[in-house]
Amino acid sequence: MTRAWTLALEYYLLLPLGGVIAVIWANTAGDGYFRVAQALAFAVNDIGLAFGLAYVAQEVIEATLPGGAFHPWRRAILPVIAGAGGTIGAVAVYITYIHTADELVLRQGWPIACGADIFLCLALGRIVFRRGVAISFLMLVAIVGDVVGLAAISRHRLAATVHPGAGGLIIAAIAISIALRQSRVRSTWPYLSLAGPLAWLGCYWAGVHPALSLLPIVPFFSRSARSLDEFAPSRGAHGAAGHFESTFAYPVQGVAFFFGLVNAGVLLHGFDTGTWAVLAASLAGRPLGILAAVLLAVTSGVAPPRDIGWRDLIVIAFAASPGVAFSLFLASAVFPDGPLLVETRVGAIATIAGAPLALAAARLLRVGRFVDRRATQPVQTPLMDGRA
Amino acid sequence: MRLLRLIVAALAVTALARSGFHAQELSTLPNRPDSLKFAAIGDNGTGDQPEYDVANQMERWHRRFPFDMVIMLGDNLYGSQRAADFVQKFERPYMPLLAAGVKFYASLGNHDKTSNDTYQPFNMGGERYYTYTRGNVRFLVLDSNYLDPRQLAWLESALRDAREAWKIAYFHHPIYSDGGRHGSEIELRVKLEPLFVKFGVNVVYSGHDHIYERLKPQKGIYYFVSGAAGELRKGDLKRSINTAAGFDQDRSFMLNEIAGDDLFFQAISRTGETVDAGVIHRESQP
Repeated sequence: MTRAWTLALEYYLLLPLGGVIAVIWANTAGDGYFRVAQALAFAVNDIGLAFGLAYVAQEVIEATLPGGAFHPWRRAILPVIAGAGGTIGAVAVYITYIHTADELVLRQGWPIACGADIFLCLALGRIVFRRGVAISFLMLVAIVGDVVGLAAISRHRLAATVHPGAGGLIIAAIAISIALRQSRVRSTWPYLSLAGPLAWLGCYWAGVHPALSLLPIVPFFSRSARSLDEFAPSRGAHGAAGHFESTFAYPVQGVAFFFGLVNAGVLLHGFDTGTWAVLAASLAGRPLGILAAVLLAVTSGVAPPRDIGWRDLIVIAFAASPGVAFSLFLASAVFPDGPLLVETRVGAIATIAGAPLALAAARLLRVGRFVDRRATQPVQTPLMDGRA
Repeated sequence: MRLLRLIVAALAVTALARSGFHAQELSTLPNRPDSLKFAAIGDNGTGDQPEYDVANQMERWHRRFPFDMVIMLGDNLYGSQRAADFVQKFERPYMPLLAAGVKFYASLGNHDKTSNDTYQPFNMGGERYYTYTRGNVRFLVLDSNYLDPRQLAWLESALRDAREAWKIAYFHHPIYSDGGRHGSEIELRVKLEPLFVKFGVNVVYSGHDHIYERLKPQKGIYYFVSGAAGELRKGDLKRSINTAAGFDQDRSFMLNEIAGDDLFFQAISRTGETVDAGVIHRESQP
C-alpha cells in the first residue's frame, strides 16, 4: 500500500485517477457531473492551479541554479530551440487543420496546441531513459511549449469584467516579495500569505488568468539546485521545513486530482474538428517541429548534447507530444463551457496516444532501456558527425 | 382544448393525404392576418442544389403563408466565406424571399465566421448575440460557440427585462437532441436551462444536428432541432423517450405562427411534404 502510494505521488497518478472518474461520471450522469464540475471549476482552475503552476515554476527555477540540470544556461539552448520548434510545428498544424475544416471559431484555441504534459513527459522519460541528460532535454522541450501556452492564455481570460489599476496590485505583490527576500525570510508562508492574495486579485482584476498569479513571486522563494529528472515529492534540501516543495508536495497532489476531476470529464461522443486539430498538432506537428528545429540548429552550428543522438531525439519528440493535463487547462482557459471546449478537451485527452507512440519508437529504435546490449557496434547516430 | 386542436390537425393531415391531395397542399397553420409568422432554417449555407430546393420550397409556401421573417439557426455559410460565397450560399437561393421583404435574423454556427455578424442581411447589428421583439414575442439569439460569462450575464439581464408574453431563444448547438452525430450539448444545458426555466422561455430552436426533431417538453420548455435546410445526415435521428417527432430522410425547414397564446408549427421537407405539425399552447403567467 505504501509502495503504491509512493508510486502514485512520484508519477502524479492522482491526476489521471481524477480524469478517469470524470470521464465515467460525465458519460453516465452528464448533467450531475457538469453541474459539479462547473461549480468546482473556479476553486480548482483559478485558485488551486496557481499553487500547481508555482510548484512547477519553482522546480524549473531551481534547475537553472549552479548544480541544476540547466546550469550553465548554454546547456539549455538546444532543448529550448527544440521546444520552440515543436511549439511552432504544433500551432502551425492546428491552424492549418482549422482552416482546412472551415471552422474558424476554433482559431483562438491555438494555445491548446502548445500544451505538453510535463508530468507525463517525466514519466515517459523515466521509463525509457531511466535518468540522465535526455530527461532534462525532454522536460525543457515540454516546458517551452507550456510557457508559450501560458503566455498566450494570459490575454484570453474569460473574465466578465476587467478593473483598471489592477496591475498596481501585482506590482505591490512583487515589491513585498522583494522585501521578504531581502529580509532573508526562508519560509514560503509569508510570501504566500502577504504577496499571494495581492497577486491573485491583481491578475483576476487585470484579466490575466489567476492560475498564473503566483509566478511573479515564485522567483523570490528560498531555493536550492536540483535536477529536473527528479520533479518528485521533496527530497534533501527541498524537503526542508518552509521550503515550497516541502509545504506543497501533498496539496499539489490534491490539486492534481481535482484538476483531473473537473477538467477531464468529456462526453466520448463530443469529438469534432477541434479534437482532430489538437490531436494532429500534438502527435504530428510537435514531433516534426522538434526534429526540424534541432536539425536546423545543429547544421547552423549549435553544439549538440554529448549523450543524445537522433534516435534518442525521435523518442524525445514523441514523448513530448502528449498535451493531456496542460492542454486541458489551456482549453479551459481559452474556451468557455460549451461545444468548442468539449471537442478540444477530447482532443487533449486523446493526445495520451503520444505515450505508446514514444514507447513504440523507443523499442523500435532501441533507445534507452531498449538498447540492444548484445550489439557490439553502437546503434546511435550522433546529432552531428564528429561532435557527439 | 389543446388536445382537441392537435387531434383535429392530425386527422386533417391524415384524411387529406388519403384523399389524394398532394402533401404540398397541406397546411395546419391557421394563417391568421394578425399573427406573427416566421420560418426557421438551420445548417443551410452549403450553396448546393438541396439548399436551393429548400429555398424554392420556402418561396412556394411564402405565397400562401406570407411569413415576414426567417430565423437562422447557424452554419449559415459553409466553406469559404468571401463576398461571392454570400451571393451563392445566401443571396441567390433566398432571392425571392429577400425581394419580398422577408427579413432574416441569423445566429452563428461553428462553420460561420464571427465577422459575419456585420453582414447586413443577417440583421445581427454587429453582435454575436442579440435580442429583438415582434409583437408579443421576445426573440433571444445566442452565440452557442462561445457562451462566456459576459454573454450569460447579458442573457440573464435580457430575460429579466423581457415583458413579452412569448420568449423564444434560438442558437446553433442543441441542448436537447437525439441526433446521433452530436446529440445534446450537456455543458451548455447546465448553463442555459436554469435561466430558461427561471425566466419562462417557452420555445427553443437549434440546428447543428442535420435532422429535424421535436422533443417532448423538458421542464416545461419546447425544443426543436431544425438543422437540415442545406446539410443532411440521413438516418441520424436516434429516437429516445424524449423524441416527440422527427424526420431525417431529407432536407427540411419549419414554418411557425404565433397567434395569441398558441404557437402553430409545421415542419416541411424539401419536396413539400409536411413531416410534423402541431400547436404549442402557452400557459398564461399568473
